[in-house]
Amino acid sequence: MKIGVYFCKCGTNIAEKIDPERVEKEVLSLPHVAYCKSCEYLCSEEGKTFLEQDLKDEKPDRVVISACSPRDYERTFRECVAAAQINPYLMQMVNVREQVAWVTADPEQAAQKTVHHIRGAARRVSLHAPLEEKEMEVSPNVLVVGAGPAGLKAALALAESGRKVILVEKTPVVGGLPVRYEDLFPNLECGPCMLEPVEAEVFQSKHIEILTLSQVAEVVGYCGNFTVKIRQAPRFVDIGKCIGCNECVGPCPVSTPDEVNCGLNQRKAMAFAIKGGLPNAPSIDMQACLRAKGEDCTLCRTACPVEGTVNFDDQERILERNVGAIILAVGSSLYDCTVFPNLAYGKGGEVYTSLEFERLLSASGPIGGKLVTRAGTPPRSVAILHCVGSLDEHHKPYCSGVCCQYAFKFNQLVHHKLPEAKVFHFYRELVTPGKEECGLLARAMAHPHAQFIRYGNLADLKVQSGDGTNHIRYPEGGAERDLDADMVVLCPAIVPSEDSKQLAAIVEAGLDKFGFFDELHGRADSGQSKIRGIFLAGTCQSPKDIQGSMNQGMAAAGYVLSQLATGKKLKIEPITAQVREEACSGCQVCRGVCPYKAIGFDLDHQVSVVNPLLCHGCGNCVAACPSGAMEGNHFTMAQISAEIEGVLQ
Amino acid sequence: MTAENVNIQQDNFEPKIVGFLCNWCSYAGADKAGLAQTPYPPNVRVVRFMCSGRMDPQFVLQAYEKGADGVLILACHFGDCHYKEGNFRATQRHRMLLHLLKQEGIEAERCRFDYVSAGENDKFVQVVTEMTETIRKLGPLHRQFIPKPNGDSLHDQAT
Repeated sequence: MKIGVYFCKCGTNIAEKIDPERVEKEVLSLPHVAYCKSCEYLCSEEGKTFLEQDLKDEKPDRVVISACSPRDYERTFRECVAAAQINPYLMQMVNVREQVAWVTADPEQAAQKTVHHIRGAARRVSLHAPLEEKEMEVSPNVLVVGAGPAGLKAALALAESGRKVILVEKTPVVGGLPVRYEDLFPNLECGPCMLEPVEAEVFQSKHIEILTLSQVAEVVGYCGNFTVKIRQAPRFVDIGKCIGCNECVGPCPVSTPDEVNCGLNQRKAMAFAIKGGLPNAPSIDMQACLRAKGEDCTLCRTACPVEGTVNFDDQERILERNVGAIILAVGSSLYDCTVFPNLAYGKGGEVYTSLEFERLLSASGPIGGKLVTRAGTPPRSVAILHCVGSLDEHHKPYCSGVCCQYAFKFNQLVHHKLPEAKVFHFYRELVTPGKEECGLLARAMAHPHAQFIRYGNLADLKVQSGDGTNHIRYPEGGAERDLDADMVVLCPAIVPSEDSKQLAAIVEAGLDKFGFFDELHGRADSGQSKIRGIFLAGTCQSPKDIQGSMNQGMAAAGYVLSQLATGKKLKIEPITAQVREEACSGCQVCRGVCPYKAIGFDLDHQVSVVNPLLCHGCGNCVAACPSGAMEGNHFTMAQISAEIEGVLQ
Repeated sequence: MTAENVNIQQDNFEPKIVGFLCNWCSYAGADKAGLAQTPYPPNVRVVRFMCSGRMDPQFVLQAYEKGADGVLILACHFGDCHYKEGNFRATQRHRMLLHLLKQEGIEAERCRFDYVSAGENDKFVQVVTEMTETIRKLGPLHRQFIPKPNGDSLHDQAT
């Protein structure tokens, strides 16, 4: 074996402290080291040209480069080595500049330390194996799960770049939660006006396949090549034929609670989920329909002017699609307010969640946006309870981030509709980050009919619902006080949607301690899950507003476009774990420690199998394997042992 | 410290310490200490891992066997691990190692586990300085105490 050592002087940075000749003399006595050459600046253009040419002339079997930190220059020198037709992984760097020359006072000690490290590197590199970067064909198609703001934005961005997108949405219409908001904070912008053009663009795109009433049933494969099974529930209305004329809805004799309006009013079994929603076609709720009870009701079909549109024999379908990447954008839910018995929610009184209140305020809502109590009278006062479950160690310790802002929006909207109504804000903390968000807070604070009452503990508030109003008892300044509010609005914590858990199990992406999808990195990569090829957008990752969701949708699309670029093959890093099957006992300890779900299990042979595409090369499984069957490429037991021995000699 | 230790300890005893550093936090912290150009004792010889979770206890035992008087394991702070949870596993392994070392009569101070982030260059210098002083006071390690690392598998794979 012939090892070539290159010693970079880094101008005077290294050479001033460490005498290259002194090092060379000792290094030349190391086993297999054939030569040791110094260079002024190895990373300069001249330095790299010299290195490449010299490697071509000398043809060493292994290369040691004594220079600066591999964190900065390993890639550069690997490229040089590769250019000289030597496998780049047969090179080892020694970090002399940052970790010896710059930090050792005594030149003799610095020289000795350099030699120790070069010895370690030479012993290590002699055991290096050539590694190859593999490449894999990838599917350019993308699955987007959830058609709220985040999913819509991601789908549009990808479609605009020419990618085929499969957009899967659980409900009969796209748009997510914001289709139910008439006005949006911070500027009381019209919600439908903002969202409907985005929806329309999605529907007009030739690259987006929209699957409503659909859910992901199964995902197999990995980044670049997922095979996805999608379960689509029957709509009983042919979207292709329906003209959206609404004729079928009127004759339907069934009334059932309208979930879009949070059950505050009734809808028909044949109904449009929301006015102006897309696709502009109704669907039959078969659980409510008389036909499900055995009656042969055909009133909707008879009323339909387009023959063949209403189809009672419509069946559930399982669709299969091949995609390269998956974006999860399934949104979130509101915390269940019935867990607070002191707030009297869910007992039929005048206590509403914020989402219910959004619908009460909306012109398309259950009371046409006129804002009246169940008794039909306009409320004289509205109490808004902030932080219901948020910032609460007994419930959700985090701030949900949007509640204060919609609470001040409510303040404004109530006063638009009922100028004399009083609005009480019971709050724990007030949070309105962002450049525009302070406006609504300032207006609420300046409003003569708005009152702010700070509380310390939600459990201290007692809402008693009855005789058309609510009595609220609360502590203030050591005394118990009370006030009456005709309506109470709760601002519940934002929590993961019930679909997240199921979906996480299907795609094998992890959930955090709150049940939100776990991101690769909280700040640097919140749009990416820990599983390669699976990306996150919107409130399924963390509570956020529409702006944040749309931005993250765009970010997720960006990840897909940069990581799975069209026409490019996917590179598979060779520094991964690898199973020596003959030594594997099948205990699967490795699978438990892998943070990336990169290790599968071969049932036939009873051995673990590493998927190199998903493996990040951290080596946790290697250290955990009780049989020594798991090996970390480029960080093998033998290589590290050799380095330890080398540096200590 | 035993009487023997004191006898062996020379004025010019230079402790040999192996430092196992994770690539993303502690190794970066060591690099940053280099940029700051604050001199620190040269006694720690760094071996880089991608993650502190790669730290196999056998490496520590091997370091003692091959001449180290002390071992320093540096990881990311909790919550900072590039691979999310590797540093948790490393702390668990370190705790287990201490039990083993105690049985063999090796002082716990000879195997220090600490957390150094990519920005904590001062802490890196402090930890290295303290560790060097600690080992200097303890004196050289008596090699007969060292439990043999699992030699078979090491050699199998080395060949």
